[in-house]
Amino acid sequence: MRIRFLDTGPNPAAFNMAFDETVLEGIARGDTQPTLRLYSWKPAAISVGYFQGLREEIDLAACERLGVDAVRRATGGGAVLHDAEVTYSLVVPEGHELAPPDILESYRLICAGIVEGLALLGVEAAFAPINDIVAGGKKVSGNAQTRKKGVLLQHGTLLLDVDVEKMFTLLLVPQEKLKGRLIADVKQRVTGLRGLLGREVGYREAAGALASGFSSAWGADLVQAEPEAAEVEGAHRLAEAKYATEAWKFKR
Amino acid sequence: MILRLDFKPEGMKLLRVEIEAEDGFASRVQVRGDFFAHPEELFEEAEEALGGSPIAELPDRAFDLFSRPGLSLHGVDAAAIAATLRKALDANPLP
Repeated sequence: MRIRFLDTGPNPAAFNMAFDETVLEGIARGDTQPTLRLYSWKPAAISVGYFQGLREEIDLAACERLGVDAVRRATGGGAVLHDAEVTYSLVVPEGHELAPPDILESYRLICAGIVEGLALLGVEAAFAPINDIVAGGKKVSGNAQTRKKGVLLQHGTLLLDVDVEKMFTLLLVPQEKLKGRLIADVKQRVTGLRGLLGREVGYREAAGALASGFSSAWGADLVQAEPEAAEVEGAHRLAEAKYATEAWKFKR
Repeated sequence: MILRLDFKPEGMKLLRVEIEAEDGFASRVQVRGDFFAHPEELFEEAEEALGGSPIAELPDRAFDLFSRPGLSLHGVDAAAIAATLRKALDANPLP
């Protein structure tokens, strides 16, 4: 299996989401190869799941104050603070061996690469259906998938570090959720590589391990490439026309 | 008027429903939350199809619409949506 491999490093939220969709569109048209991309977020950002109400999940004034972006994903799931993390996206046509019809099975196949990458870093982790990866009983990676136009897009995070206080400064916590999920509870349930390994792990080291893990778990030959100029331009256009617009951000 | 309710059905994600009601009919219904629905468009079609329903029929209609084959739900199901809508209506009796 050959997969094009991109590492686009840090970019703003709207561009990151637009790039993933641009690759999906390219594969749907048949002019883009299956693609794995690693990336990060600058500035830090909160993404909300496709079905969430952005205004009711995020304290936009706090985001403004702290210089944190807010964006709606094309994928479902919950709000995520993208700060100290490596993010990946995998885009492959449906029917590809990583994209079987069963959604849970495809999560399992794709997430095996993250489990393997963590093992390379010395962390014993396991896939926790439907879309998490846990290590030492705590979540270290969350993942989300959508399928459009016969193409699967899955993106997810590998946390380098967790700042629960910052997370809760930026997220609006509903009363009902507050009961079951206090800040202390999240500290018990979520961790990053720093917490697991007791040392700083930077983007480069984690990204290297993640790429090796994906390659090994999938039996894939990752072909390192630079993004096509047209694809970068397309992503910038889509970021402006969709992901950065009020209409998309506040569509729910 | 707009009716809103947040409710976490047993074993499901927190659901936030919003119903725009006019003269006994729902003009718009939205079900928000951190769940997954595949394909997303089918979920939104079901929401749109609820528009125009008599308010009292919303929960039953929602149950049918969100049970449609081809719509795969994780963290939410048709019964949870129907129950949340019912709670929203019970909590906001219309004149």
